[in-house]
This record gives sequence, structure tokens and C-alpha cells, in this order.
Amino acid sequence: MSFVIASTLDDALSAVAAGARPVAGGSDLVVAARHGKAPLPDSIVAIDRLTELAGVTTTADGIRIGALTTHAVLMTDPAIIASCTGLADACALVGSPATRNVGTIGGNVMNSSPAMDTGAPLLALGATVELRSAAGTRVLPIADLWTGPGRTSAAADELCTAVLVPAVPDRTGSAYVRLEYRRAMEIAVVGAGAAVTLSADGTIERIAVALTAVAPTIIALDALDGIAIGNVADEDLLAGIAAIAAEQASPISDLRASDRYRRHCIGVMARRAVEAAVRRAGGEAIPVPVNRAYGIGAAR
Amino acid sequence: MAPTDLPATETPRFVRADGPDKVTGSGRYTADLTLTGMLTAKFRYADTAHARIVRLDVSAARAMPGVFAVMTADDVPHVRYGPFVQDRTLFARDVVRYEGEVVAAVAAINAEVAARAAAAIVVEYEPLPVVTDLEAALADGATLVHDGWADYGAADPVVRDRNDASFSSISKGDVEAGFVDADHVVSSRYVADGCHAAPIEPRAVVAQWEGNKVTIWTSTQVPFDARAGVCETLELPANRVRIIVPHLGGGFGGKCGFHYEAHVAALARAAKRPVRLVFSRHEEFYAPDRRREGMIIDVRTGVRSDGTITARQAWIAIDNGAYTADAGFFSQLAAMHVAGPYKIPNVQVDAHLVYTNLQPSGSVRAPTAPQCCWAIESHTDEVAASVGMDPVAFRRLNAVDTGEVGPSGQTFDEIGVQRCIEHAANMIGYDQTLPDDEAIGVAIGWWPSFAVPSGAYIKLDGDGSGQIITGAQECGTGAVMTLRQLAADELGMRPEDFELVYQDTSVAPYDMGATGSQTLFNNGRAVVAAAAQVAEQLKQLAAEHLEAAAADIVLAGGRASVAGSPSSSVSIVELAATAAGGELLIGHGSGPPPSAPDLVGSSCVGDLGMAAFVAPQFSCHAVRVRLDRDTGVVRVLEVAAAHDSGTIINETGALGQVEGGVMMGIGQALTEGARYDAEGHQRNTGLLEYKLQTCADAPSIRTHFVQINTPNAGPRGAKGLAEAPNVATAAAISNAIAKLVGHPVRQLPMTAERVWEALQS
Repeated sequence: MSFVIASTLDDALSAVAAGARPVAGGSDLVVAARHGKAPLPDSIVAIDRLTELAGVTTTADGIRIGALTTHAVLMTDPAIIASCTGLADACALVGSPATRNVGTIGGNVMNSSPAMDTGAPLLALGATVELRSAAGTRVLPIADLWTGPGRTSAAADELCTAVLVPAVPDRTGSAYVRLEYRRAMEIAVVGAGAAVTLSADGTIERIAVALTAVAPTIIALDALDGIAIGNVADEDLLAGIAAIAAEQASPISDLRASDRYRRHCIGVMARRAVEAAVRRAGGEAIPVPVNRAYGIGAAR
Repeated sequence: MAPTDLPATETPRFVRADGPDKVTGSGRYTADLTLTGMLTAKFRYADTAHARIVRLDVSAARAMPGVFAVMTADDVPHVRYGPFVQDRTLFARDVVRYEGEVVAAVAAINAEVAARAAAAIVVEYEPLPVVTDLEAALADGATLVHDGWADYGAADPVVRDRNDASFSSISKGDVEAGFVDADHVVSSRYVADGCHAAPIEPRAVVAQWEGNKVTIWTSTQVPFDARAGVCETLELPANRVRIIVPHLGGGFGGKCGFHYEAHVAALARAAKRPVRLVFSRHEEFYAPDRRREGMIIDVRTGVRSDGTITARQAWIAIDNGAYTADAGFFSQLAAMHVAGPYKIPNVQVDAHLVYTNLQPSGSVRAPTAPQCCWAIESHTDEVAASVGMDPVAFRRLNAVDTGEVGPSGQTFDEIGVQRCIEHAANMIGYDQTLPDDEAIGVAIGWWPSFAVPSGAYIKLDGDGSGQIITGAQECGTGAVMTLRQLAADELGMRPEDFELVYQDTSVAPYDMGATGSQTLFNNGRAVVAAAAQVAEQLKQLAAEHLEAAAADIVLAGGRASVAGSPSSSVSIVELAATAAGGELLIGHGSGPPPSAPDLVGSSCVGDLGMAAFVAPQFSCHAVRVRLDRDTGVVRVLEVAAAHDSGTIINETGALGQVEGGVMMGIGQALTEGARYDAEGHQRNTGLLEYKLQTCADAPSIRTHFVQINTPNAGPRGAKGLAEAPNVATAAAISNAIAKLVGHPVRQLPMTAERVWEALQS
């Protein structure tokens, strides 16, 4: 077994090229090993000291989120809350304060769990990922990254260095809503992320919805434009979106829920995510996370 | 710290003696212990729910380097044990009856070698039919979980028949005549899934032999019971087995009973080295005989149009699991709780404790009560609705009260159940107007106090500092911590003048342990009696010193003074110094336990001592919940808990018990349930899929104690408290949900999906 602490990105890339698994917060790798789900890899490279990979920067194209940025940072970062509110919603729901302080966006994205919370808002917001290897850098749409539970299209020598969210037009809002049985240390039973841009007249100009834990990967809803574009988000439209989400989901039955209940609840989550995104797009400041602000588990 | 002239017990908030150790991390738990040459233990479990062992070969494991001992049933005395029915052995013999049964044990140089050796043990099975359904298990021709049941030893009052390990009934009046008298008869069926105590600390055991004596450090709630188990199964006298409990990381009943102390002691003896066993979280869910029992409750109640209950008839099946741990008396306890704290003239309740091929059940905080209370209080709301009465008014009409006769024929001394109902309803604002997704539910519950022998010593050393040497066990409730307050008050000293010496069976006299909410109730009496002996010695010494009569000496503020002339006094420190040169200051106490109340006009089959409740505790919980009708997710927003537990001695500790009990009750109501497949495998043996409530889920909890100085009870009129707060919460939540859904959710836990399904029907 070998454990290397990388002090430069190049060190990290050569270690990864030599077969080492990168570890940042360890909230997936270490927990899986402790629970006997997957043994620790023989070779590990710690990348947590590569400070250049941490932090949120606003660029001309949008927002660049360093792979080592933690959930705790993302749920409170003003730029994220302003333009990627749905991502902040998701980060605020992850695990516990301890999990959020060690878990990173890069780790979450590369772990490729179908139940990951950050995936749906990132997909709805049209995010891309930056993958780097000794040979160079490439950027690919996040939808093309996830190929199955725990599997990605990244090559063995590639390290995720950033997640990029394109700049959003004015009158855009996003939200992430999750079904949860308790208010901490929870894993998504189902969840939905939405990003909506409104026209000046309040009708929907652009809409994207992605679903959590109802397929082998996070999935984007198809064929929403036909019913949504040019319309206001009234009861009919929200019910229509719920029906489309339920139809396009392929949920399983497991200890957390039956497929029947999941299929019903994914519709509820999708309509709530869209409703919250529309309200935010209209200028309403619904606090993060939207799960606590209204809908499930909200306090009054 | 030596006594000073400060007045006794004026500390505004009671600070636990073990608090700083636990908060700062300086406290030691069993798994923290390391002894020279210590080995690691690992069990090989059956991993199948019912099968005959056709081959068991440990030779490969024994031959592995680093393996010091491998044990099976052949390596220990052939002793069948069990507190009510002697139906089990340390290691499986011939047949395994649940998946977590220990087939073999290994002691090895480290955890990795131990795990490999346990895996290298070869076991071949011939599968047997798996019994998981309670009703099918009681049917004629059912597969017997123990086909040799008739030959097992059992406690005399236990009534057994095939898969029925313990039958108990309550018969009072003429139940059929009572139904004829009724204007309405309401029938209900409720089903509760099993669940878990889930203490933070998974259990651990360390054993070390010196000569023919063994010391066992273990995370048990009942050190004397653990010692008795070791002595019985390894055939040792009590004075050669010493049980020490380091700090205990919670128990909630899950660490009551005798568990793995003998396995580890036997391994250590064979290996000639100290051995340590530390459970993983999975094992803590999987193996111990301490699951909270699943149940089926069928109940029928007759009521007159004026709201008077005329009769109750019920049938209860309780999942005993594969072996009878301390669940023998569950049938009688369940019968009492299903009869309920109501004035019902005609009662017939029949309760069966049913063997299955599941994990054995055992005492988890208020065993049988939360499930029975949930069923019977949900049923009570249905009965009230049948006559168009408000649930609170219906309970006020039918609940027992001072001087009245309970369901099993017990006449009550002064009790506070009616006042509990009033306080809980007031605290929650029962009559308020609520949004249409909110409702308030109310439930009442009861629980006995347990009167049993218990002992303590007290000594004051030459510097005037004191030690309380007690057999009592602290499992987090604060009951042992409160003993300092009782001793201090008796001796006119301060709680912090006393150190506790506890949780060591070779040092202190017997106590039943942190079980049955009995610690302060019984050991408090012992400490008061021991302190009284020391007080008498101090008064004699002071009388000589002050040239006064001993009867006139008052102990207060760290001094002994002559009544009426406070200037004539001497400090306890000075008296202690005097005593150190002569007759030492030593007291011991036990005292006779309170007696059981008489029963009139009823009979009980299978009476294991629960037909009447000594110093019964009563409670009423009122909860306000919100229901998300789209998903079935229920959130508890507010809880009001009113309790009659007699005199409250340590209010800080008592509030903690109520709040913890309520949180546990919310978990049982909404998210906590053991899940099994058809082959008897438990599927959610981890904290991700077995969902405890978290701090973030905690509602606002308000508590009121109806304090009654109760005769025939614990010190100063105290009753027990630790279990009672766990009884009524799930029931109150159920009644709130039923108001929102339109009818009760008839399976516990009332998960979001089950609530949603109920909304669809």
C-alpha cells in the first residue's frame, strides 16, 4: 500500500497516471472502506493540499468551482447563491456539518452516485467538468461524465480539477429539492434540480430539470420545452412536469422506498423544484436550502 | 475536596460527576482498554436463519499463524441458560436458529488475522424451514423453532406450548356481558415492526485471567447479571468472576442481559492471553438478543353512547425471536399495556410470546410499552370517535384515578394521570386553530416501578471526603450521579464531597443494574440507609465532642450542631479526623423493597410479577405535527410531556430523560424499523438505512412533572423515570396523523411511504 501527499498538481497527475486513487475529503473513499463496501485502494494520492484547486471564481464565461471546494463553502458562497442557487440548496443538504466541511465538489461529481445531491442542479445548470492529465486538459459536459453508478468516462490518468457553470441570463433561478425522511445525515430517496429563465412577461424562456436517484445516473428530463416554453408556471404546467418526471424515471425498489412511491415522489420533487426556480427567477429570495424554506420539512 | 460550610445542594443546576470525563474525552470506555499481549476476538455467525449444522471444521482456522484460540460448542460446558426459559447455549449446537447466532469464536494476534480465521472455519448446513410469521408460527403443524422445547428448563410460572414461549392473560369480570352492555363495539388490528436500542457505543468486552480468577471489562448495563451468566455457563463461583464496567456509551436496554462476556472469557482462558472483542455497527444491529419486539395486536372495545368503556378483549402476538432472553415477561407486560390505564370493568387479554427464526427480542427501554401504547391509544381515538367524543374528554372520563381500580384489579394510591392529561393539553394549546396540514394528537401511558434488592456502602475518610461504593450501574440516565445528592442531603454535606465507586462486582454489593428504571428507586433507598448509618456515627462523635445528646445533633452545612444552639458545633472534617483514629465511618444499606399491591377481582395466567404495578408511573404526551400530503412525510413540531414519576429528585437529569425518551419515541413512530426478507435476513443493519432521529429533527419539547410524594415507593416518594418518557410519544403522533389522514396508519413505524399509502386509501 502506498500513500503519497501531492504538493503540486503535477505530482498529483503523475501519481494518478501511475495508478493512484486521488483522495480529498475522503467522505466516499474512507467511509466505503470502513463499511466494507470497497477496500481502500493499494495506492492513494492525497490532493487536499493543492490549494489552487479550491475556491469559487467568477469568470467571463461563468463560474469556476475548483474541485477541492467543499460543500460548506458552496452552500454559503455569495456568487453560488446568486447564480447557482440550486447547487447551494444541494450542498446544504449533504450529510452533516462534518461531511460538508470535508466533502468536495470534485469528489462528489467523480464518485458518480445516482443519489448524489449536487448532480441534478449541476446538470440543470448546464455545467461542465475540467479533467486534467499529464497529456493535457479537456472539458466535457457533466452529462457525458457519468456512465453508471460509480463509473465515469474519465480516463484512468485524468483528475477532475474544476466544475464550470456557464453564466446564466437575467431572470434565471434554480433550485434543488429532495425527499428526505429526516433533516440530517440523509441520502436522497429521490430529488430534483431545476433551472428556469423567464422572459420579461413572466413566461418561461428556458427550462431544464434533472432527477436524482431514479436511474443509474442523474438524468435530465427530455421534452419539457414543448409544454413549458412560452407558458407561465401555473398548476397545469407544474402537473405536466410532474407527470413527465414520473414517466421518465426508472426507479428501483429498495430499503429506502418502493419504485411506486419513488415514481410518485419524483413528480412531486420535480414540480417543487420548478416552482422554486421560477419564484427565484422572478426575484423572490427563497433562502437556501429550499427544502427548509418551503415544502418538505419547513418550519413555520 | 473536603466539606466546607456551604449549605447542602444549593447548586442551581446539577452537574454530573461523569460529565467532564465524557465531554473532554478523558473518560475511558471498554474499547479504549489495551492490555499487554492482548488478542482480538472475532465471531463466526450462522448467517442463515434456520439450519442443521452438518459439518463444522475449525482445523484450517486453528492452523493459521497468529491464531491463539478457536472455540465452538465442544470447547465450553454444555449448559443451557436463559432467565425465563433455558433454551440457548453459548455456541450453536446442531441447529442454528437465527442468522446472528454465534457458531464459533476466534482469538488472534490482530483484527485482520481474526477475520481471516473466522472466515476459514468451514460450516455446512442443511436448511430448515424459516419461521418469520407470528400467526403461522402459532398454527397447528407449524415448524417448531425448538423441537425439544418441552425438555428445556423454565421458571415455574412460565406457561409454554410449542412455539409459544410464554403465554399470559388478564381476566376480569365478564367480557362477553360487557360487550352486550355496549352501544358500540370497535375492533382494530395494529402491527408493530421490531426496532433497536441503537446505543452510540457498539458493545465491547475485554477479559483477562490471573490464575483461576477472571476480570471482565464489559459494556453492560447489568454487571451482576453478566457475572451470573459467566458463572452459570463457564461453571465458576461468583467470587472468581469480576465484572468491571468502564464508562458506558449508552444502552437504552440494548445492553441489559448477559451477552458475550463468557465467550471472551473462554477465549482468553484458552489463549492464555487477554482478549478484546469490539463489535462493528453491523454486529451491534445483527447479533445481540436485544431487538425491540415486533407485535400484532388485535383489540375490541365496547363503549356506551355516554362514552363509558364496558369491555375490552385483545389478542397479542409478540415476536420472541429464536431464543427467550429476558422477554419471558413481555406477554404479561404487553397484556397490561393493552388493557391500559383505564377503568374497564370487563377485560380479557391473551398474549403470546412467539418463537421465530429472527434475532431474539429483549428489554429495550420500556419493553412492549411504546408499541402497545401506540396500538391501544390509536384504538382509543377510534373508540372515542365512535361515540362522537373528543379524545381528551374521552380519556378524562375513562382513565384511572386515585382510589380507583385498574384493569387488572389494582386499587391506586394517589396518582396523577388525570393531572397529566390536563397539563399536556394546556401546554400544547389543545384548543387552538391549526392550519389544515397540522394536527394535535394526545396519548396516555403507564409504566411500573421495579422493587428489587439493592445495596451500597458509604465511607468518610480521615479528611472528611466521602465515597459511595455502589452496585448501581450508570447507563447515561444520571441516576447513579444523583446518589451523591441523596448522600449529601442525609449527611449535611455537598454532592461534590462524594466520589462514586461503581460498576465493579467485586467491590460493591448487588444491584440489578441500569434496567427497569430501578437505579434511583432501589439504590437510592440503599444509599440513604447507608448514609443514615454514617450520620448516626457522626452524631455520636459530635455528641461526645459537644457534650450534648446525640438525638439533638443536626448535620447541615458541613457541620454537626446542637439543635437550638448553632454556636455549639463542630465541622464534619474534624469529626472524620477523630474517627480515623478510632472507629471508622462506614455505613451500609439495602432496606426492604416496596411491596406489590393487592389485586381484587381478576386472575392472571402466566403471572411473572407484573399483574400489578408497584408505584405506577403515568404520562400524557401531546404532539403537534405537520403532514406533507404529497409525500406522506410527517414532521413533529412540538411535544408537551406531562409525567407523574412521583417526587423528582434531580430535575436536570429528569428533564434529560424525558427529552431523550421523546426523541426515541419520534424515531419509533416515524423512521426506525428492522427490515427482514423472507429468509429471515435483517436488511438494514447500519445507521444509513436504520434511520435514527437527529438533533436537526428535534422539536420543541416542554415537560411538566406532576409531583406526588408516593407511599410504598423509592426515596422521598420517587418513582422510576427512565423508561416512562418513551411510552406515549409514538401513540400521540399516531393520533395526530390519523386526524390528518382520516384514519390511523396501522403499522409501526409510520414511515412516509406508509402514511402516503394510507392517504391513497
